[in-house]
Formats: sequence, C-alpha cells, structure tokens
Amino acid sequence: MRRTTRAAGTVGVIALLLTAACSSESDGGGDGGDGSWSLPAEDPTATIQVLGHQDAEDMQPVLDAFAEAHPTITVEYEAVPFDQLNSILDARIGNQDGNPDVFWADQPRIPALASRGYTEDLSEQFADDLDAFDPAPVESSSFDGSLWALPIANSTQLLYYNKTLLDAAGAEYPSAAVEDRMTWEEVTERAQAAVDAGAQNGLLFGQVNRYYQLQPLPMSLGGSAGGTGDGNLTPDLTTDPWVEAMTWYGSIFADGLSPQGVTPEQSDAEFLTGNTAYMVQGPWLLPQLSDATFEWGVAAHPAFADGEAVTPTGSWSLAMSPFSDDKDAAGIFMRWMSVEDGGGYALNYASPELPATPEGKTAYFERDVFDSDSGQDAVAIIDYESSNTAVPRLQTVGYVEFEEILGRAFSDVANGTDPQTALESATGELETAWAQYQ
Amino acid sequence: MRTSRGAGNPPPRRLSRRRKELAWAVVFLAPAIIAILTLRIAPSVGAVISSLHRGFPGGVLEPVFSGFRNYSDLLANEAFRDTVVRTVVFNLIINPLQVAIALMVAVLVTRKIGAPGIWRTLIFIPATVPIVGSSIVWGVALRPEGPINAIIEAFGGSPQPFFTSGDQALASIMLVLSWIGIGYWMLFLISGIQAIPEEYFEAARLDRAGPIRTFFSITIPLLKRPLLFVLVADTVANFVVFVPIQMLTNGGPQNSTTMQMFNAYRTTYTYGSKNLGAAEVVILTLIMLVFVAIQFRMLREDRPTRSRR
Repeated sequence: MRRTTRAAGTVGVIALLLTAACSSESDGGGDGGDGSWSLPAEDPTATIQVLGHQDAEDMQPVLDAFAEAHPTITVEYEAVPFDQLNSILDARIGNQDGNPDVFWADQPRIPALASRGYTEDLSEQFADDLDAFDPAPVESSSFDGSLWALPIANSTQLLYYNKTLLDAAGAEYPSAAVEDRMTWEEVTERAQAAVDAGAQNGLLFGQVNRYYQLQPLPMSLGGSAGGTGDGNLTPDLTTDPWVEAMTWYGSIFADGLSPQGVTPEQSDAEFLTGNTAYMVQGPWLLPQLSDATFEWGVAAHPAFADGEAVTPTGSWSLAMSPFSDDKDAAGIFMRWMSVEDGGGYALNYASPELPATPEGKTAYFERDVFDSDSGQDAVAIIDYESSNTAVPRLQTVGYVEFEEILGRAFSDVANGTDPQTALESATGELETAWAQYQ
Repeated sequence: MRTSRGAGNPPPRRLSRRRKELAWAVVFLAPAIIAILTLRIAPSVGAVISSLHRGFPGGVLEPVFSGFRNYSDLLANEAFRDTVVRTVVFNLIINPLQVAIALMVAVLVTRKIGAPGIWRTLIFIPATVPIVGSSIVWGVALRPEGPINAIIEAFGGSPQPFFTSGDQALASIMLVLSWIGIGYWMLFLISGIQAIPEEYFEAARLDRAGPIRTFFSITIPLLKRPLLFVLVADTVANFVVFVPIQMLTNGGPQNSTTMQMFNAYRTTYTYGSKNLGAAEVVILTLIMLVFVAIQFRMLREDRPTRSRR
C-alpha cells in the first residue's frame, strides 16, 4: 500500500512538472546567435536537418552531389509547401531545438526573419565569399548591416508564348528585343485574339495572386512598392497606379483571358500542356521547355503603355537557425550550395532559378535549353532585365504580413471584387498588423 | 498525516481499508487526471498567461507583461469585431440547422422504411471520410468550372461563384460542413430514439395522435439528453471549425469566411503574433462557454414532478 501511495505521489510530481513545462513561456532568445563557430578546414561528422519548399524528389540530385563532395555530413531534407513554409518555420524555430539547422529563406522576408531572431548572423564566417555573388542578392540577404543568409538564386521574369496558338490566331510573334517590349494593353488584345481562335488561356500569370509577379504592374504606372514612411511600415496601396493596375488585373479574369483556380504550383504544367498563348514566368520554366511538344518563344516582360519597364527580382537564400547544434556542418552545406564552383544548387538542380553568382550563371547558360534561338533570346533578356529593370520587393520588417494580406487582396480582385474596395480593406488589415512594429 | 483515534472515528481496520481504496482510486484515476492537466488545463492556463503579454512577432524573443492591452487592441479593431460577429451569426445559423436536419433524418430512418440499414450507412458515410478529403472533393465540385456548375448549366441556370464570391462562400462552407456533420450527429439521435420505450408510441397511437403530434409530444421530450449532447458537441465543433476554411477559401473572399478560430491561427502562425493569437483564443473560448451555458439552460431536464396515478 505504501508503495502505491508513493507511486501515486511520484506520478503527481511528474504531472506537476509536465504542467509547469507546458505552461512556461518560451524563454527568450536562448543561446543562439553567439557567432562562436567557424567554417572548419576538416569536415565534421554530423547530420543536419534542412527545410525547404522544393520537392524532395527534385532535390535528390543536389543532395547526392553534396554527399559525394562531403561524405561525412548527412543532410536530412524535408519539403513543405511554399504557402506553409512560413508558419512551419515559425513553429519549428520557436521550439529552439535546432531542427531545422538550415532553411530556405525568401529574400524579402529576411529583415523579418532576422528581427525575429530566426537567423544566425553570417557576416563574419562568409566575409570572404561575398565577392563571388552578384551584388543584388547579397543586398537582399542583408539587413541592418549584417549578412543573415546566403543567396542560392536570383530571378527575373519573361513573357513566354506558344507559337502554335499564335499561328492559329494569325498573330505575328512578339519581338525578343528588350527595346521592343510589348505593352500590357497589346498583350491583352493579343490574348483575346488567341482565346477567340481557340486557346483555352490567353494570358497566364505563373504566380497568380502573388506579390512577386504583380508588383511590377502598379510600379510600371509609377506606384510605390506598396509601403512608404519610416521602415516602409505605412501602407501605400490605394493610390491611382495601384487601383488602375489592379483594375486591369481583375479584367483579365473577368474577360476570360486568365483561368480561375490554376495555382502557382500548377502553372508550369498548364503552359506545357499547350493550351496557353502567353505566360509570364521566371527562367525556371526554360529547362522544362525541353519537353514541350510545341514551338515556343520568349519576349521581354511587358510594361504599361504610359509606364516604365519594371521587372521582379530576388529569390531564395539559405539561412541558418541560431539554435542549430551543428553550425559548422550547416555552414559547409550552405557554402557548397551557394558559392562552390558557382553553387551546388544551381549546378545540380534540374530546373533551377537564375544562379546568384556570375560563375553559376555562366554554367547555367550552357544548359541545352539555351542552345535554340529562343534560348539565346532568353539569355539576352535575362541578362538585361536583371541588371536594368529589376526592382526589389518592399524592404520592411513587416513583409510577412504584407505579402499575406496583399495576396488575399489580389485573389479577391481576381475573383471579381472591386479593386478599390480590396485595396482599402488590405490597407486596414495592414495597419492593424503593422501597429506592433511602430 | 497522522490520524487521531478519537471518538466517532471508525475502527482502524475499516480506516485502513478505506485508505487503501482511496490509494487505488488515485492510481486508477491518475492517467486521466494527468492527461487532463497536461493536455487541457496547462495549455489553457498558458494561453491566458500568454495573452497578457506582448512581444515582437516570432517565437524566440521574450514577451513582456502588458495586462489587458491585447484585449483592448482587439476589441478596438473593427476587423476583429466583424470576425466575432461573423462567428456568432454563423453558429446561430448552422447549429440549429444541422441538429434539426439530423433529427429529421434520424426520425425518418427509425420509422418502418425499407432497408433502413442501407439508408443509415449512406447518410453516415460522409462522416467517415477524413475532413481534408471531403474539403478537397467539395473544392473540386464547386469550382467555377466544376461539375456542379456544369449540372446547373445543363438545366439552363447560370454558373454560381460558390467559393469565389463574398456572398456565397460562407453558405458553401456551411454546405460542406453539414454534409460531413449531419450523418455523424444522426447516429447519436438514432440511438436516442431507439432508447424510447415502444409503449409510449403505442399509447400515442391508441390516443389517435398523428405522427407530428407524436414527434413533438413524445419524441422530442424523451430525446432531451441526446439532443443536448448533440447540440453542445456540434456547437463546439462549429466554433473551432478550421480545415475547410483553410483549404477552400483561406478566409476569403474579402474575409467573408474568416472565423475566429481561423483568425487566431493566422495571427499566431502566419503573422507570428503568438500573444495576440492567445488573446483571440481566450475570447473565442469565453464566447463558446456562454453559448454552451445557454444551451444547457434551454434543454435542462424538467424537475421531476410527483407522479400522479
């Protein structure tokens, strides 16, 4: 009997401890980010966890190549959908248990990630590697004078077209020269003609309702990136350029030129089925076009008739969790992915974004897909846009909320909501969400 | 603890047996109590404590105590007030509706119809499908160019923007939830109806009561307990509804399907404002408790009157 009482008492104490553990708040910044690590000369034997949005199967060739180069470091890669990457990172890094060690960080989110204490300061360890990168991606991986992530990619956008469908509509092919870029007004007209001639989709935005691809629309008309003032924490979405750009965006869905409900994950496949006349998409579509069963061409990203040429830019970087317990191994992996020989990611991934290093770009442009005339056109356009017309996304610590709320406004506009109403309601939501940073 | 052996205390042998029983009771109850403490009470207390703090968004920086400021900020925020009103209205509509339909169906399948087992199985099947699967299927079915609209067009109607218009999205979500829920709640009500002794129905028949009179005077009063359970459990389930909203509309269009639970999730995980999210959860819990308390009062068992012969 005494034993049972004691057992019950023990159980009670454990319960209390568990309760206390559950209800105690997370205790601050932990021991992360003290910078007391360096890239070792010898590879350590370690296992690191990596979290990204790229499909695990597509990443396998990259991981195999890394395993060959660094056999003692095991990489456990975990893929999560792009839309959930943020929430999952928030929960995982909040656990402070060092899983993941390394994660995919969207460049415009880096100020927010750094301010939240989710990223390790890399300034010291990678100081000698910075010259290997193009300046823009390094800038967008930095915040407040420190480097918080290593860029593995950069990006720009092109206008792809399906020659078969253009022939059916009796249209001539758009010029590939950047100085002859089409206007959105022209693209609308041509897309309508293609639909009338039987194309299922006249114009497809590869990243429908995402700020990355839609930001150039208002900016082409002279609008801002969406925020102004101190730290870009004042919404600036209800100006004429924004309303006008969104009115046009809503019209392409209302007029049946763009399909409802094709997600960014499905858009490449949609174009490859051959039912889409024009599509705005990044260079990562190019390698997939080797399998296209139709003739394709590329033209420069359009601009509004009364506006400027503006193109998206920025891409992904790799960040390290301050709570990683294998920072040296994680650093080796990040360095291999981003800079070694032009970047292991860019070299080994089947359809990568544009590499962030000149060396990587050189290798990238040697891929088979660039052999064709259209491929050569693409090289010229990519080169020009990424150094002339690119505008970075809004630089603010409140980017996470900004992208989410604006994405919903875009989706409402595409579904037929009045643009002014949608942008006003987004402004209200943003003001609430950004109040905590003021 | 020493026990005094004064007058009036039971003799020692009985005492030790009672203590033994008590000890065993503690042992057997421990797993349940520990589970309740760690899985229910502790997180609730944690949420309340967390809601009284403010911190920089994100999970690794120390929040500071701020009293009720999160609550005053929330209540001053029009979008949040709209969400609360929307959630309450949604529940005022969907709960009675689901329970009423489930009850009607339960009454129908307990009457003398052909092959009652097949009907029950058919109605219950949606409840056995994982809610994620149901959401995907309905999402496809109600797409702008989906099969439902194809049927509507075949009959000469115009296609409807089920999930893509602010006017229809919430009703479409209700449809999906009811399709899942009705069969589930029906099961409880069927067992309740079958527990009513046949003599009552027989007596009603002898008194020439029609089916409607029988339903209101016999079935409903004798179903109070299962009805209360179903109503309360359904209310709780609909207050914390999340999966279909996240999968089908993501709270849109124009926030027309943003319910409090989804909003708390978004605040906590998407924007990383854990303390504000905790405050939203506490407010949601309080509203739920009020609802459930009212339902308990409404369906309270009448005090047993003295039986007259």
